[in-house]
Amino acid sequence: MKKRLEFKYKFGFSVPHKPVYTTKPGISEKVVKEISYLKGEPKWMRDFRLKAFKIFKQKEMPKWGPDLSSLKFDEIIYYLKPIEKRADYWEQLPPEIKKTYDLIGIPEAEKKFLAGVSAQFESEVVYESIKKDLEKKGVIFCDMDTAVKKYPEIVKEYFGKLVPPADNKFAALNSAVWSGGSFIFVPKGVKVPLPLQAYFRINAERMGQFERTLIVAEEGSFVHYVEGCTAPIYSTQSLHAAVVEIFVKKGARVRYTTIQNWNKNVFNLVTKRSKIEEEAIMEWVDCNIGSAVTMKYPSVFLAGRKSKAETLSLAYAFGNQIQDTGAKMIHLAPETSSRVISKSVAVKGGRTSYRGLVQVLKGAKKSSVYVSCDALILDKISRSDTYPTMKIFEKDVQIQHEATVEKIGEDKLFYFNCRGIKKEEAESLLVNGFIQPIAKELPLEYAIELNRLINLQMEGTVG
Amino acid sequence: MVYFQRIKESKEYLIKEKGKYLFFLNNFSGNLKIVIENKNCQVFIFGVYLGKGKEEFNLNTFQIHKVGNSFSNLLIKGVFFEQSKFFYQGLIRIEKGADNSYAYQKNQNLVLSENCQVESRPYLEILANDVFCTHGATTSNLDKEQIFYLKTRGFNEKRANFILVEGFLLEVIKEIEKILKNEKVKSLYQDIKEKLQKVYSKI
Repeated sequence: MKKRLEFKYKFGFSVPHKPVYTTKPGISEKVVKEISYLKGEPKWMRDFRLKAFKIFKQKEMPKWGPDLSSLKFDEIIYYLKPIEKRADYWEQLPPEIKKTYDLIGIPEAEKKFLAGVSAQFESEVVYESIKKDLEKKGVIFCDMDTAVKKYPEIVKEYFGKLVPPADNKFAALNSAVWSGGSFIFVPKGVKVPLPLQAYFRINAERMGQFERTLIVAEEGSFVHYVEGCTAPIYSTQSLHAAVVEIFVKKGARVRYTTIQNWNKNVFNLVTKRSKIEEEAIMEWVDCNIGSAVTMKYPSVFLAGRKSKAETLSLAYAFGNQIQDTGAKMIHLAPETSSRVISKSVAVKGGRTSYRGLVQVLKGAKKSSVYVSCDALILDKISRSDTYPTMKIFEKDVQIQHEATVEKIGEDKLFYFNCRGIKKEEAESLLVNGFIQPIAKELPLEYAIELNRLINLQMEGTVG
Repeated sequence: MVYFQRIKESKEYLIKEKGKYLFFLNNFSGNLKIVIENKNCQVFIFGVYLGKGKEEFNLNTFQIHKVGNSFSNLLIKGVFFEQSKFFYQGLIRIEKGADNSYAYQKNQNLVLSENCQVESRPYLEILANDVFCTHGATTSNLDKEQIFYLKTRGFNEKRANFILVEGFLLEVIKEIEKILKNEKVKSLYQDIKEKLQKVYSKI
């Protein structure tokens, strides 16, 4: 079992799948129209895409952060349609895709490791009953393409309002060619008891290159959404540019957990934003382990009085990886509070950067912000940067930022040595301990996988 | 022997000989770049900012450790009244191989008027691993409980306010005195105190 795990964690995996239809590489107005046509979209969405494409052409690449010059927009395939008909049941999925799910440990492998716990996830009977239960409560959970057709009124009201196409080049690109992603609508007062995960909503476009996710949580509701997986996601494509928009209404709470482990050839450039109203709570849990370059700064607009936001960010950069992550907190209303906890580990030449923004605008009286960034550098060739920005326009506030960068202490290793624990083992124990405050916020099965993944990576680096 | 320099203009200092170096900034706008090129150097950068009226300060500092076994410590404290503005960007950079570097950076600001604007960007770029670097930045108003305490001791609001601000700024001078004790430092102390009194006499 362990052997198989090591294989898949170290090298990723690929399952041959036969796309039914793909567009030609490269992007043009024709491609954008073609995508919209293939999806049979209404005119307003087609116009939205075309407008976004114009913006994409005008916008320049970001002038800061990691080098993106090896990204070739002309070589990317912008739309793949992997299976013809949407599969409603697990059985109906093509065997290749099912095999993919099995390989990444959903649900069979989970069963073996976590017999008791994972039982709730493993069978489609459970999956169906949860789905029915949610439907009864009025919760809408489907993929974005379906939502455009079935719930145009809700989608129109929120789509592109928080992350407009003109926000940045990659948001514009996503707006022009988006495909897949999740749509969640939670009605007033409804609390969704289980974390919603992408694999509940089984369909072939689960892991698209240009996902578009929209979550609307009405007054007093609660939902936890989990995306990604700890096992590497193989992709022949080199760019993943997603957009996530979350609206949290009065007194509602949304938690959004990401575990990103793309193959090491992927540029992962994601725009995530949420707007929260009075007494609402938003929590981002953002773990980045894979990809060649990740640039991702989940942001929150604290627009309502007494709203609260929290970002827990974890980055692990190994080898040539660059993890440029962080958080943005924009305080617009009085008595708002936010907290950012960032932990990063750089190994074997990896590079981690924390890039954050805290902005307290006029009128956001009695707001408080706490930012803490800890970085661990494990060897001489790795690098860690911290780029926080704080802009304060109000007097009655409390803003705190602190960061530390260090290596694994010799004294700690010595202590483990005294107890008969080898250096390699001690290092992985210490790294796992270091990320514990964030790992413990993940759903259990993810936390265990993450822990195992770090152990395997560490064995490779130190042994 | 401590090398003491009061910064009046933007400059780059290459630290080549071992020893203690102390740089002092008072309401200075511009760039201060310190490059440590030798072992056993200790660099201290201390700053006091007092903004009033429409004053605007723009400060960039660089603590660049090219060689290891070195130490640098930065402490900038600022108090801002009326419509004053403060823009600060500080960088600690530890070059590859500069192991056993210790670098600290702290920026604390008190914002005493709602028309002030404070921007703080404490940056770190660490390319070596055997280092210990921290930075911290805080921006806030005065602690209400501390004011309350002083009021119970018979000070009025304005006086309590003054005592706390004075204590906040003079902490920098106390840090300087730990390294260097002479007439120059005494005059710094007097200087800051007088300026502060002037501001409070107008309020």
